[in-house]
Amino acid sequence: MPNDNCLSTSHTLATLVRRSLPRFAIFSLLWYALAGSDALSWVIGVPAVLLATSLSLSLASSSRLNIRVAGLLHFIPFFLYQSFRGGIDVMHRALSFRQCLDPGLVAYTTLLPEGSARIFFVNTISLLPGTLSAELRGDQVTIHTLDQGLPVWANIQRLEYHVAALMGETGEGRENL
Amino acid sequence: MDILYHSGTLFIVIGVLFFLSGTVGLIRFPDIYTRLHALTKADNVGLGCVVCGLALQSGSWVLTVKLLLIWLLVLIASSASCHLIASSAMQKNIKPWTRP
Amino acid sequence: MSWLHTLFALILLPAIAVGMIRILRGPTAADRMMTAQLFGTCGVAILLLLSAGMLNPVLIDIALVFALLAALATLTFIRRTWQGSGKNKHGYPLS
Repeated sequence: MPNDNCLSTSHTLATLVRRSLPRFAIFSLLWYALAGSDALSWVIGVPAVLLATSLSLSLASSSRLNIRVAGLLHFIPFFLYQSFRGGIDVMHRALSFRQCLDPGLVAYTTLLPEGSARIFFVNTISLLPGTLSAELRGDQVTIHTLDQGLPVWANIQRLEYHVAALMGETGEGRENL
Repeated sequence: MDILYHSGTLFIVIGVLFFLSGTVGLIRFPDIYTRLHALTKADNVGLGCVVCGLALQSGSWVLTVKLLLIWLLVLIASSASCHLIASSAMQKNIKPWTRP
Repeated sequence: MSWLHTLFALILLPAIAVGMIRILRGPTAADRMMTAQLFGTCGVAILLLLSAGMLNPVLIDIALVFALLAALATLTFIRRTWQGSGKNKHGYPLS
């Protein structure tokens, strides 16, 4: 029995270290980037980083936000490419001689769960080519589009899939469509 | 090093072009929603290009992290306030402009 | 090195100046506030370019603060001023 207890204690300790180390590394990196290489700055930096790590840990246990690294690696290039396309699209419409706008509203029902995943999804819609999230009520998203000829629905679905993979929400709903 | 510097300059030129077209869109587009499109997308991509260009030219990873942090902050802030402006406009029953 | 970045920063200035037309035209207060947002993003870019042009790293820190404050200004305006004047038509809170 004591053996088992000891094992579980070391197990929780290992979990704690595994959960806090990446945060600690990220906050240290941020401090270094903000404060520069002056060694004296760490007099404030070390307590600040430790506080930020513990605060982030205690906040993370109350919310369900868990970002998948694999999802993030897929999401970043997707996001960069799409927002670049969005910029090109707006540039083309703003600078073209004739005004080529055909705006409209599109309704969309998201399958993402309520909370950070949905908020993140709604905020990223505005950076996709030709779409802008105009209203969020429950799981109903109203999307304003610059051009009703654009494949809005397909773009949004692809974004939703990526957000689900990023937030670790896969295996829900969308695949049976 | 020279190639890095010149590709950085290219990125900055593209970024400045995005900024200028964002302003043109803000002036030319017919209603608040379409103007939001112009402002949010063009300016964020423009800032992203400028940040990339400067990071390529700086050759220091500390500066790169700082620049990326600034971009990330602006991205989060402007996408959130973009949604907030649009949803407030919807609540105020401001009708989107449609093609006549 | 320095003159090129300063030139780019100068090119961005008209982007801000022309944006002021939107302040004059409106029509809603939010349209005017969008110009403030343009000032924020454009201002950050100008500061970053100037810091490379003038070889002054302090300007990057100013850009960082600028990025934070511009966001706060827009959010506060929308929540406090614009929504306050004609709000809750449907009686539900903003998400």
